[in-house]
Amino acid sequence: MSSIELTNLTKRFGDLVAVNNMDLEIKDKEFVALLGPSGCGKTTTMNMIAGIELPSDGHVSFDGNDITNTPMGKRGVGFVFQNYAIFIHMTVYKNLAFGLEVSGTPRGEIDQKVDDMAKLMRLTRQLDWPAERLSVNELQRLAIGRSAIVRPNIFLLDEPLSNLDAAFRAEMRTELKHLQHELEQTMVYVTHDQLEAMSMADRIAIMDMGILQQYGSPIDVYNRPENSFVARFIGAPSMNLLDGRIVGTNGSTKLDFGDIGNLTPDGNDPLAQACQNAQNSNVLFGVRPEDLKIQPSGSSDQVLSVKVTFIELIGPRSIIHVEGGGHQLKVVSDNQETIEIGTPVGIAPTGRTHLFDADSGQRVE
Amino acid sequence: MASNPQTLTLAQQGAKLGRWMTLPTQLLLVFIFAFPGLMIIYVSLSWWGPLEGVPWYYAYESLNWFENYIYLFEDERLWGSIWRTLLIMLVVVPVEFFLGLGLAILFVDNFTGKRVFYSILLMPMMIVPAVAGYMFYILFQSNGPVNQLLSLITGFEIDILWLSETDNAFVAIMIADIWQWTPLMFLILLAGLLGVPEDQLKAATLLGANWGQKFLRIALPKMRIVMIIALVIRAVEAFKLFDVMYVMTKGGPGVATETISVYVYKVTFMELEWSYVSAIGFAILMFLTALGAIGIIILSNAQKKRLANVVD
Repeated sequence: MSSIELTNLTKRFGDLVAVNNMDLEIKDKEFVALLGPSGCGKTTTMNMIAGIELPSDGHVSFDGNDITNTPMGKRGVGFVFQNYAIFIHMTVYKNLAFGLEVSGTPRGEIDQKVDDMAKLMRLTRQLDWPAERLSVNELQRLAIGRSAIVRPNIFLLDEPLSNLDAAFRAEMRTELKHLQHELEQTMVYVTHDQLEAMSMADRIAIMDMGILQQYGSPIDVYNRPENSFVARFIGAPSMNLLDGRIVGTNGSTKLDFGDIGNLTPDGNDPLAQACQNAQNSNVLFGVRPEDLKIQPSGSSDQVLSVKVTFIELIGPRSIIHVEGGGHQLKVVSDNQETIEIGTPVGIAPTGRTHLFDADSGQRVE
Repeated sequence: MASNPQTLTLAQQGAKLGRWMTLPTQLLLVFIFAFPGLMIIYVSLSWWGPLEGVPWYYAYESLNWFENYIYLFEDERLWGSIWRTLLIMLVVVPVEFFLGLGLAILFVDNFTGKRVFYSILLMPMMIVPAVAGYMFYILFQSNGPVNQLLSLITGFEIDILWLSETDNAFVAIMIADIWQWTPLMFLILLAGLLGVPEDQLKAATLLGANWGQKFLRIALPKMRIVMIIALVIRAVEAFKLFDVMYVMTKGGPGVATETISVYVYKVTFMELEWSYVSAIGFAILMFLTALGAIGIIILSNAQKKRLANVVD
């Protein structure tokens, strides 16, 4: 049993506020990803959970017990460092056994547990090797095994996959998720890769400039981003955000995008309500490239007129870059028809759309 | 792997260029080492001395082959001085090592005034040894500051003859040497300690290791080479101990605190027996070379064993 609660957590380094008044609650056995660009405060947050750094303000509690001032060695958290911090002067066996040896576990028990962990991490063959001989992939598994062997209730991982090659990274994503179920641990995972967070986490905490932007399930943050930062950060290719203005004309409202045209949401669309609520204001209109469709130019008045500037092939689909009236957008197309660069085309939203306030970036509904 | 004489591999070209580039230094070393070395061997095989009235290259006129070397074994003063040198070395090097290590451990973490203490600690090392010797010569006078301080603390009249009684003189010399050279040990060991990867120490802490376990299992293995270097440097330096001791006691009372360097100095400049001094010098050089070679062989064997494990 181990839940984590962060309350008003703040960390200042001189004038820099690395983490600003952060509240976060992580349930027992939950897999939470701290996601954000570099410098957003995600690693600092994790270091404060581990006790590597002490907060300037606020509290960290495990299971309701305040452990803000408990030294890091006494918190019982497992921690996997970004560069693994393997004891390279020891053998693989010694690395795995370290946590058990320092706590005075009997030798027989250590051997048993090391064997089990080596099997789980596929390191049995390498047990007697000096750790310096391992490949990056093996080092990564060793780092996880070394922390997991002492059965910490809370497991913290700091960008553990960032040094791996793409193929192995994909494999490790599945494996980590599987491992978390097996070890029944609360896991906190720091990453800047939204794909890692989306594919593994139960909940994602998205951070920027030391501030928690949104906390929710992957589906939630993908489908209902609370602000334009989250909208832009989650999903690849990232969401199109168009500067526009909501104009009301005799009871009906429309989204005006200047030269490329305008959209009039029909009454059943949630967008219509949102537009009502943001009458006569500047907004950011968000639509994912997957939710746009290319149509013949001028085929209806619900189409924005743009020009194709660039086509990027991504396997079975392509990303079509279009431009018009100072706006640049991306459209994911399934290669059904051939389009040439320079052709004028129309684009129309076919799926979910989002509206954000142009000044605050907050979602408008 | 066909290599013909016309085309050299990059490594071979590099080695060839390297040989040319280092040639001047190698020639210089030949003159620095080979010439005086051969001269010493030559002179040591004769009775030649500076008062003979013939230049050294006429030493063959008084050739005695190995008489000087045979005398080495009978020279009790020489063996006494070697024994005393070893004794001082065996006391001061470990004491300096552990003091230096303790200080280094204290200086790993930050504390207020660290820079000031750091500078103060390193100062003894910067002082010219002869000056340091003279300083301790004054401190250890029978009516000097050390005795006065001891009197003040204990309340009794303390009148220890620091420099004119054999045992006390040894203690005084060792104190002076420890005072002067602990800083060097401290500096080298601190560099070693700071080189221990911090994330590994953190990882060990998070795995529940206490301070001692971290030191023994993580820091110590990583510092092994640095420790060996520090010990070797100080052991060699202690073997050559001269300035401090010469200023403080001149090897006295009598010959009671004479080290090998002081003895050689006296034989050279007071007794002027240069052929015998040459024999002593050459014998010590051979002895130390053999010792060093054994050390290197042991180290490289350990290294080979480690690599064999890696390749298995």
